[in-house]
Amino acid sequence: MNRRSTIRRLFTRLPRWKRMLLAGLMLALVLGLALGLVPSLALLTGPTGDSTPPTAQAPSGGFAGLGRAADGFTQARPGQALRFPEDHGAHPGFRTEWWYLTANLHDEQGRPLGVQWTLFRQALAPPAAQQDAKDAVGTTNPWASNQLWMAHAAVSRDEAHVVAERLSRGSPKGLAGPAGVRAMPFAAWIDDWQLTGALSETLSKALPNTLASPLSSSTDALSQLSVSATLDETTRYRLTLTAEGPLVAHGEAGFSQKAADGQGSFYYSQPFYRAEGEVTLNGETHRVSGRAWLDREWSSQLLSEAQQGWDWLSLHLADGTKLMAFRLRGGAAGGGETQGDTGDYLSGSLISADGTLTPLGPTELSLTPIAERSVAGRRLPTRWRLEVPGQGLDLTISARHPNRWMTTQVPYWEGAVTVEGSDGRPRGEGYLEMTGY
Amino acid sequence: MTERGAPRLVPHLAMARTALVTLLSHYRRHPGQLAMLLVGLWVASALWSGVQAINASARDSYARAEALLSPSLERRDGAPLSYADFTTLRRAGLAVSPLVEGTIELNDGQRLNVLGIEPLSLPAGGIGEDRSAGNDGEDGANPLGLLQPPGQTRLAPETLATLNASPGERLVGAGGERLPPLVIDAQLPPGTLMMDITRAADLLERGPRIDTLLLAAGSQTALPAAYRPTPAAQGLSPGQLTESFHLNLTAMGLLALVVGLLIVHAALGLALEQRLGLLRTLRALGVPGRTLVGLLAIELVLLGLAGTLPGILAGLWLASVLLPDVAASLEALFSASVGASLSLPWHFWAGSLAITLGGLATAGLGMLWRTARLDILALGHAQPSRADGRRRYRRQAGLAALTWLAALGLWLWPTPAGTPSLIAGFAMVALALAGSALGLSVLLGAVLEGLKRGLPGNSPRTALIRWALADLQLQLPRLQLAMMALLLALATNLGVAGMVGGFRLTFLDWLDQRLVADLYLRPPPAAYDSWRDWLETRPEIATLLERRETDTRLIRAEGERPVALQGISPDPALTASWPLLATLNADRAAAWQSLREGAALINEQLAIATGLAPGDMLTLASPTGPFTTQVAGIYPDYGNPRGEVTLTVERLSQRFAAKPGSMGLVLTPGLAAADEAALRQRLTRPLPEAGEAPAPSLIDQRSLHRQARQVFERTFAVTRALTGLTLGVAALALFTGLLAQARERRARLAPLWALGLGRTTLLGVTLAQLGGLALATALLALPLGVALNWALVAEINVAAFGWRLPLHVFPAAWVQALGLAVLVALLAAALPAWRLWRAPPRQLLEEFSAS
Repeated sequence: MNRRSTIRRLFTRLPRWKRMLLAGLMLALVLGLALGLVPSLALLTGPTGDSTPPTAQAPSGGFAGLGRAADGFTQARPGQALRFPEDHGAHPGFRTEWWYLTANLHDEQGRPLGVQWTLFRQALAPPAAQQDAKDAVGTTNPWASNQLWMAHAAVSRDEAHVVAERLSRGSPKGLAGPAGVRAMPFAAWIDDWQLTGALSETLSKALPNTLASPLSSSTDALSQLSVSATLDETTRYRLTLTAEGPLVAHGEAGFSQKAADGQGSFYYSQPFYRAEGEVTLNGETHRVSGRAWLDREWSSQLLSEAQQGWDWLSLHLADGTKLMAFRLRGGAAGGGETQGDTGDYLSGSLISADGTLTPLGPTELSLTPIAERSVAGRRLPTRWRLEVPGQGLDLTISARHPNRWMTTQVPYWEGAVTVEGSDGRPRGEGYLEMTGY
Repeated sequence: MTERGAPRLVPHLAMARTALVTLLSHYRRHPGQLAMLLVGLWVASALWSGVQAINASARDSYARAEALLSPSLERRDGAPLSYADFTTLRRAGLAVSPLVEGTIELNDGQRLNVLGIEPLSLPAGGIGEDRSAGNDGEDGANPLGLLQPPGQTRLAPETLATLNASPGERLVGAGGERLPPLVIDAQLPPGTLMMDITRAADLLERGPRIDTLLLAAGSQTALPAAYRPTPAAQGLSPGQLTESFHLNLTAMGLLALVVGLLIVHAALGLALEQRLGLLRTLRALGVPGRTLVGLLAIELVLLGLAGTLPGILAGLWLASVLLPDVAASLEALFSASVGASLSLPWHFWAGSLAITLGGLATAGLGMLWRTARLDILALGHAQPSRADGRRRYRRQAGLAALTWLAALGLWLWPTPAGTPSLIAGFAMVALALAGSALGLSVLLGAVLEGLKRGLPGNSPRTALIRWALADLQLQLPRLQLAMMALLLALATNLGVAGMVGGFRLTFLDWLDQRLVADLYLRPPPAAYDSWRDWLETRPEIATLLERRETDTRLIRAEGERPVALQGISPDPALTASWPLLATLNADRAAAWQSLREGAALINEQLAIATGLAPGDMLTLASPTGPFTTQVAGIYPDYGNPRGEVTLTVERLSQRFAAKPGSMGLVLTPGLAAADEAALRQRLTRPLPEAGEAPAPSLIDQRSLHRQARQVFERTFAVTRALTGLTLGVAALALFTGLLAQARERRARLAPLWALGLGRTTLLGVTLAQLGGLALATALLALPLGVALNWALVAEINVAAFGWRLPLHVFPAAWVQALGLAVLVALLAAALPAWRLWRAPPRQLLEEFSAS
């Protein structure tokens, strides 16, 4: 909590133009962190016109790395198979990556309670430059890392919304640092916050490591997890997660397109967790149980200049179906598949109870805000209409409470939602994330 | 009420205004008195606020330095901290943050402290946190700025100025490495570069090692068993030393304030006495006594503001002149970096104003009291009767004796536990000075009485002398305050000059004894052995004196304390002149022999702090377990704030794994200048046998001497400046005091002139009176000065710095002080005397008729 006020104080001390610049940078970082789309550091690096494809897209010329120091990251592109358990770990060759867990829980009295645990990895410089830096300074320096780890945790119920943030730099190869992710046996951690696999090492080694098997079987390094975080002196949680279905790969076998011009990220999820454990919120301890959803995504590209942010949904429907949908606002104009004149880019996945995934393309769904609320000095849509005509879905999604603003270094909205059918009957629950407002 | 009250109030106010104007008109007739009052206030507040400004900004610098180093952890097993400890503690949920510290050399040879921080884990409220309002935010305190390539080198504006660099520039280290671009951070202490830990660890070649693990203040999480909070350093810490230095400065400032207020007191007394008639007339005209007191109080406040405000400004100027010297001294003496520019909080201004106005109030209280008790019917210019005078003398003598007794009591009485002995020392000195000042006029009166009685015969000449003495006795009450000021200033000057001079002599002596080698060589650690082997074969070198140093802890029953450890080569070339303060059975040779056999020598600071004496056993922590040996002797170690243990260099490298240090080279006697030059040349180049290792650094003894001497000259420049100023203030006091009563003097001398005494004779008498009085005061100041000198070297120095100095007396300084006192008195008397000389007979006759 203190860190946040420090940051704010630092921020307010900056002169106005610096504040604007910093705000711009932070915004770019948020968008980049969460999406990994078209480079949008236009503010600093000069605008990338709509007609000009970003240099990273062009495999010609400077692919060897000369003259493209800022673009020395690996690009996500379709046709690359996911590999497990390796892909559960970090991909330092990509710019951004996250392990994103949200849980819709209920306490003994059945009252709803939301929990979030997120670990972000951000490379401050491409791996090549990183290597140069290491060579220049010698490899004995354990601090020399261009990886930045950032974690967010939140517990919310009704009015209460406790948020905490941790930051750490990466650790050198072969040395365990305060933050990191290990694929085998699975562990993701920052300080004393951790998300660890409960499977023994031998068992997870015996597991098949091709894409096909974990996606159809429910036994994987991620199928038994335990997650914990201490947000402050009076708020903490510890949950065990048991997967009741397989991992699912979004988009084209794990390549999720994020803009009309074909850029995207690698994206898979485990949406079938049954969660159980204990949550202490402001000194009150509750036994909780419910459902959780883990997202894994990595990419190297930032938002394009025109894209301002996104709205993202993960829903547990009552019939066991899971639904993921996102809307990227602005940008990508000129593409034939965009919705209306706004240039928004929509995408989603409908996952049946047995793990069969149906990708939803930009024209196959619509996501419309229907009510706005004032939150943290901004106007945010807290009621949405989600239509998937091809599947006969017409859902109304409402935030359980509008006050779910994450007052982290990079602020955004993240909170639990309820789902209703067009007839007004409850159809399930889930999580909503809104950035760039 | 109001309808009737309003018209009544108007004449009341008008009366008060008229009365105030009448009272103030006194100063129009006597501008000398006004000048004296204002000068006294001005000087008092200038010196006081100047000293306070220096103290305040030095303290601010320490606070900034200290904020970088609060609460921290260490391992219970004493092993150095590393990256793994940081990880372990972070994973245990402790908000720890690592710090590396060290010194780097820039390519221009300048050395700077480097502080490496980990901005992501840093606890809030530490570095990067804005503590002082008014920080304009141009310091780029965004934590990511340090981290993101190319990073930042943050530094205080003062450091930027001394480096002659501009923000954004990149400094270059001695090895050619480029530091991250410079960014100003006003919160940093001067002389420190702060950067990301990655860059600092590289520059300082630390690898995974870290120096400190900071813990967020108020952390609730329990520490793992393998760690503990770092215990606060025991014994003499630099903090205490700098505190002592500031206490010294404060004492000087207080003395200046007292001297200045003595002037004010004298002037106020004079102004009241001369206005007694006026006050009575005002009372007789119907001004109520209470109104009169109120008006005088208003006058005091007006005068106080008029004198104090320019005084504070002058004090600031004085501080800005002296501060660079103070900063340099503190840095050299205690390694405490002080900004060379003033930064003052608001309470400094308020405090300075309050102190001077408070002083003025105490000086003016007597005047108000006497006004309140004024008897309208008493004679206008009643001279105090002899009986009155005697009673006052007796009272003053009693008070003086009491004060002296208290001073003696403080000296003899053991300091109660808990009170810093330094405060007690200063209290003793202050009491002794106050007692002497109080006793001064009693003593002077007695001397005059004795001289008067002792004059033989009744010749006209004797009569004149007797008159002069009697007249001086009459003047004494008025002159006594100026004389007190002179006494205090002279005694302080003598005492401090004696201490500084004594310190200088002792220190230079000691430096000569300790720096016996002609050249000092510090080879790169990797090439140390090659250099030693090579040097041992050289014919130009008579003796090779190796020296290593390291740190350890002294283990005692009551706890551990950090000590410095040095290893020396106990060669006769070094030991013959090395001074020892105490040895077992007073046998120097035996002490050196036992050092060779494994015993230890300790410095005086450690002996005073721990009570260790020759023959006692001491235990040191070493990498291979506790190391116990006997104390063979105690040596003086001036200027070192730390306790130090000396062993042989072999033991240090074997038992304590001390890294290679420096080598002292004693050249063969009678070595030709050309050979010496060739050797020097050779020593500044890398040794071919040592492979890649860079060239060693070579310091010759003369420049080392010069450096050390400079440090001490600078340290005491401030002290000297302040004593000089105090003496100047005393002279001013005397001068203004005499000036103020010049007119009255003329009225007193006029009858003598009328009786037929020549003007030359009168002039001579006047000058002799004052010169004699000043000389007598100065003579009395001599023993007081010596006593003060003794108190400073034997009591205050031990309490403040941990070492005792031998008492040196400087008769030349005494003569100088005597001469100075007489000169000041004569100068002060010269103007009134010259006026008398120039006064036309008509004026003198007028004076005669007027009196």
